[in-house]
Amino acid sequence: MNGREWSLLIACILAIIVFSVASPYYATSGNAGTVLRNSIELLLVGLGMMLLLAMGGIDVSVGVVMGLAAIGVGRALGAGVDPVLTALVGPLTGALLGLLTAAVIVLGRVPAIVGTLGLFGVYRTAIFVLLGGQWLSGLPTGLTVLLGTTILGLPVAAWVIALAYLAVWIALRRTPFGLHLLAIGNSEEKARLSGIPVVKVRFATFIVSGALTGLAATFYVANYRNVEMTVGSTLALDAIAAVVLGGTSILGGKCSLVGTVLGVLLLRILQNGLLLTGVPSLWQPVVTGGLLIGVLGFEVLSNRLSLSRLGWASK
Amino acid sequence: MNRIRNLQGPALILALLALLWIIVILVLLVLKPSVFSLATVTTILQFSTILALVSLGQAVVILAGGAGIDLSVGGIVSLSAIASMLALKLGLPSFLLPPACILAGAALGAFNGVLVTKLSILPLIATLGTFFVYSGLALALTGGAAQSGVPSWLLIWGRGVFSGIPVPFLTIAIPFFAIAGIVLMWTAWGRWIYAMGFNERSARLVGIPVDRARLILYGLSGVLSGAAALVSLAWLGSGRPNIGQNLELESLTAAMLGGIAILGGRGGVGGVFAAVMLLVTLKTGLLQLNVNTVWQVGIVGALLVFVLLADRLSQYWR
Repeated sequence: MNGREWSLLIACILAIIVFSVASPYYATSGNAGTVLRNSIELLLVGLGMMLLLAMGGIDVSVGVVMGLAAIGVGRALGAGVDPVLTALVGPLTGALLGLLTAAVIVLGRVPAIVGTLGLFGVYRTAIFVLLGGQWLSGLPTGLTVLLGTTILGLPVAAWVIALAYLAVWIALRRTPFGLHLLAIGNSEEKARLSGIPVVKVRFATFIVSGALTGLAATFYVANYRNVEMTVGSTLALDAIAAVVLGGTSILGGKCSLVGTVLGVLLLRILQNGLLLTGVPSLWQPVVTGGLLIGVLGFEVLSNRLSLSRLGWASK
Repeated sequence: MNRIRNLQGPALILALLALLWIIVILVLLVLKPSVFSLATVTTILQFSTILALVSLGQAVVILAGGAGIDLSVGGIVSLSAIASMLALKLGLPSFLLPPACILAGAALGAFNGVLVTKLSILPLIATLGTFFVYSGLALALTGGAAQSGVPSWLLIWGRGVFSGIPVPFLTIAIPFFAIAGIVLMWTAWGRWIYAMGFNERSARLVGIPVDRARLILYGLSGVLSGAAALVSLAWLGSGRPNIGQNLELESLTAAMLGGIAILGGRGGVGGVFAAVMLLVTLKTGLLQLNVNTVWQVGIVGALLVFVLLADRLSQYWR
């Protein structure tokens, strides 16, 4: 753990202490469960976003991608498809959409931010058309085993997330793929010149991110058992904010798995705490966006003041 | 076709846009002949005033390069409309509403500029953050309710029509575009903006104050969004906290469609103006055909992806 990760951990603990004092409903075991359950999707989507940012990419359409995958899962669940297959519909849909995104961004050589913003519009309409203006609600309980069942004392969801993070850690630190991904994030031009298969790696990363987002959709449906029209409207911001808070560079080439987990938890702790202390949920995007700008701004200022030389600012 | 192939740069873009525009109008005429009347033309121009102002700001920010982009334009429109209406309720004299609205936009845009130039945060992350802060604030401060009470003299300006052309279009959109066109084409300032976008390093080496210019351009984008907010107030008669929704997508599409290179340094405001007209004609036409408004965001998004890919493909063909 580096300085950034320690400060995030301290921020999480401080936030918990402050909210426990401010609200009698906060420090209960039920609420801790709520915070963790609400973090599931963001942990998975954030992992994909971390890979994209580390590669120098970005995807602002993750929210609607999760929505589309959730509709797929919901439809399969409603039709009584085998639960294992149903759970796989999410990641498969996500991976397919990731492939489509990659085709536009990588083959079309389009800046990721503009390309995914365009796809965001298309997918948003697709969600509306697929739902026909109604919520997908009252779905069967076929997937709740994912959250209810425990293996060795931990829920299935926790195992899945742990496995996903482990797989990404191995891919990043122990395989050429990870090295290539970070090299592209550092400088795409230099990566290409040194013979790295840039197109392949970029495609793979978009597909992996899509699959993780789709996996999040499976858990979303298992958790809420409905899909509404505005599904995932602030998910992209939450994911980018959490990952950047965690110390992943938006310029690419640097990422942190522990930081991503802590960033997600801090965000969800803050959002849950503000809700319980009576701040309307409409304020959530303001807080998230403010936190994102605040942290980035603070980082630049603290670097400029050379506090790092004194040894107490994050590198 | 040969003549089109021989055209270059802005002329080619304008020709293609005009062609697309004619196709859109012909399709609409075939589907519903009663669509085009003078009233429809007025409606199209009325709608296009807001998008034209916002797209102009977006275009100059992108033109100046440095990965410039302003994702917060929709948030600025919503928040400056809401902030100025709330100020009115708190006792601001009503004749100060227009300057308050534009000043609010300028301040919000300048804040983006400070984040980008002074703190060197990537424009896409900085303005993504402020997009959520601004549009979130507009919703949170009002609880989502529209703010009524726009003074009636403002409505006369906002809803006025002069020989079929809406007055705000004549008095705000056209002058801003004319000034922007003249500044970009014939002044040193305009040359600086193109130079910054084309090659930032060289621009710095020849002594162009790149950071100061960029700060001003983000502020200008804010001013234009504030002006768009004012037009929405004067036209609709109330401040709606979600009035800027999807404007970031639409203004980006208009800028790209209008031939502004995403990496900066190439493009002109004439193309942007034509692209705005095309987009709004398309949207109004769909509205007249009773297509649900949710389709609009999808069609605009698809158009954006299409334009980006077409730009790429056209480079292969040459």
